[in-house]
Amino acid sequence: MITGITGIISDLSLYRRLIGMQLRTQVQYKVNLAVDIFTYFLVTMLEYMVIFLYFNTFQTLLGWHVGEVALLGAVVSFTFGLAELFGSGLDSFSEIIRRGEFDRILLRPVGALMQVASNEFRMRRLGRMTQGLLMFLFALHLLPALHWTFAKLLMLVFGIASGATIFVAVLLLGATLCFWTVETTELANILTYGGREVMSWPLSVYNRAFQSIFLFVVPLAFGLYMPVCYLLGRPQPLGLPDAAAFLSPLAAALFAAVAYVFWRFGVRRYQSAGG
Amino acid sequence: MAAKTTTMIETHDLSKAFRIAKRRPGLFGGMRSIVDPEMRTVSAVRDLNILVERGEMIGLIGPNGAGKSTTIKMLTGVLVPSSGKVTVAGFDPHRQRRALASHIGVVFGQKTQLWWDLPLIDSLLLLRHLYHVPAERHAENLAHMRAMLDLDEFIHTPVRQLSLGQRMRGDLAAALLHDPELLYLDEPTIGLDVVAKARIREFLLEINRTRGVTVLLTTHDMDDVEALCPRMMIVDHGRKLFDGPVTGIRERFGGERTLIAQIDPADLATLPRGGENQPIIEGLPAGVRQVPAESPQVALAFTRDALPAHELVAWLGARIRLRDVTFEEPDIEDMIRHIYEDGLLLKEEEEAVSVG
Repeated sequence: MITGITGIISDLSLYRRLIGMQLRTQVQYKVNLAVDIFTYFLVTMLEYMVIFLYFNTFQTLLGWHVGEVALLGAVVSFTFGLAELFGSGLDSFSEIIRRGEFDRILLRPVGALMQVASNEFRMRRLGRMTQGLLMFLFALHLLPALHWTFAKLLMLVFGIASGATIFVAVLLLGATLCFWTVETTELANILTYGGREVMSWPLSVYNRAFQSIFLFVVPLAFGLYMPVCYLLGRPQPLGLPDAAAFLSPLAAALFAAVAYVFWRFGVRRYQSAGG
Repeated sequence: MAAKTTTMIETHDLSKAFRIAKRRPGLFGGMRSIVDPEMRTVSAVRDLNILVERGEMIGLIGPNGAGKSTTIKMLTGVLVPSSGKVTVAGFDPHRQRRALASHIGVVFGQKTQLWWDLPLIDSLLLLRHLYHVPAERHAENLAHMRAMLDLDEFIHTPVRQLSLGQRMRGDLAAALLHDPELLYLDEPTIGLDVVAKARIREFLLEINRTRGVTVLLTTHDMDDVEALCPRMMIVDHGRKLFDGPVTGIRERFGGERTLIAQIDPADLATLPRGGENQPIIEGLPAGVRQVPAESPQVALAFTRDALPAHELVAWLGARIRLRDVTFEEPDIEDMIRHIYEDGLLLKEEEEAVSVG
């Protein structure tokens, strides 16, 4: 038990150092980095503006007001940016396989997944997180009546943490596919970018089967959307009880565990087939 | 911790077969191959038996696709063997891959493990944490490597700006900072100039002598093997063709060496001419034959048991004036071809079987 804990601490400190190497590489080109972050900020801001285009014409969307959809979109944007930032190593895993660098990773005495995850850290993702944060504040301005409680604050943290975990787990699933073929990396993008888009709107606009998939198969709605409903005081999808939102970290943990098992299976397959 | 024995690497009938999907021709064939792949099995390594003692320096040579890197991957635990047993430094490489990783160092000549955009020193410092090396031990090793490999002249330069030779020195240091007992080197001198090669070889001999590091080297360059390894193995088509001392290997399997002589133009004119207007040297000693060469050169191929090289030079020099002489050694591909053509090792194997 104690060795397990010290193992985790030393892994975390190593992760920090490996990320540090990536940061040092990127700050060598400061102007480049600043332009990158700012461009990404603008692009994500434009994506987000669709919400206001819609509400320019219509008053409500299935009972949701502009401030509520704006808050949902902001939380999703921030969460997705966080996942993109910490998942950039997984996102670029196909490069590692293509260049034959996974052998080197297996030749080191520390965990393979940790090395892959820390192999890249794309700081321009900060642009999306900044956009999410600013729009969150703006949405609060549009929702003067929103009453905050401790449970709601906790739920905000749950939503961001669970949502980011599930997005990262989707990236891990995409990375794992690279053990079989590097030609299908777009498959994960359907779930990441597509999932982000789907999550940005009230779930009830989609049909029930589609809702169920995002609630129980790839539980982005369970992990991210339900906590946001809770803090907005909106009814939960498919008539689920409001308290179910407290289970969002559990849904995230389960999905991440499945992705991890699949990853281990992929590593074993690599070791018998040689990539 | 595994018990210390005198054996570093031991394999018993180590084999690896890959199942590879065959692609059917055409668009529909390609689609069918995805749903219903036609598999064929390719044998990369077959019944390999290796025994390497601690402190040995051993060369593993063979042409491309011979199974060298598959073997190394199984010895490091990166690949699971299809069958057979393997023990490295007391570990089962596949089951105890991460534990074994702390005891071995690996250098790929064509791929660096250093962080490309950062100064060399950053990588060397980070490796301490990747390998959990105690701080004092790491500092000691780093100081030692800096001195032995003269790293200081470029240690603050980003790796991408280093010359190939400098980068290789950096990679060697990186592979040795955690005190590995065993060092795998894959083509460590590929692409290097003569001076850089000599320097790397000198360093490898030194760490083998002073630190007792066992070195397993794969290479195309027979000179590497002759400079470093008392013993070598030749593999081809996944099988071991030869395992034994390096001295005498060229005499045994190398076939002929070639003497290339630059003839003084005045004397060249006096020589009789044969086909394609080649100058002919007459009355060659037994075991020496003339092979085609560019004028004003004359090339003589000879086996080592025919006569010593200097005697052939003297014999030739007594007849015509020579400007210069050089020798060409047979390369590895020649040797392997020779081994096949003469079925040399198969005969030996049969003898061994009948004796055993």
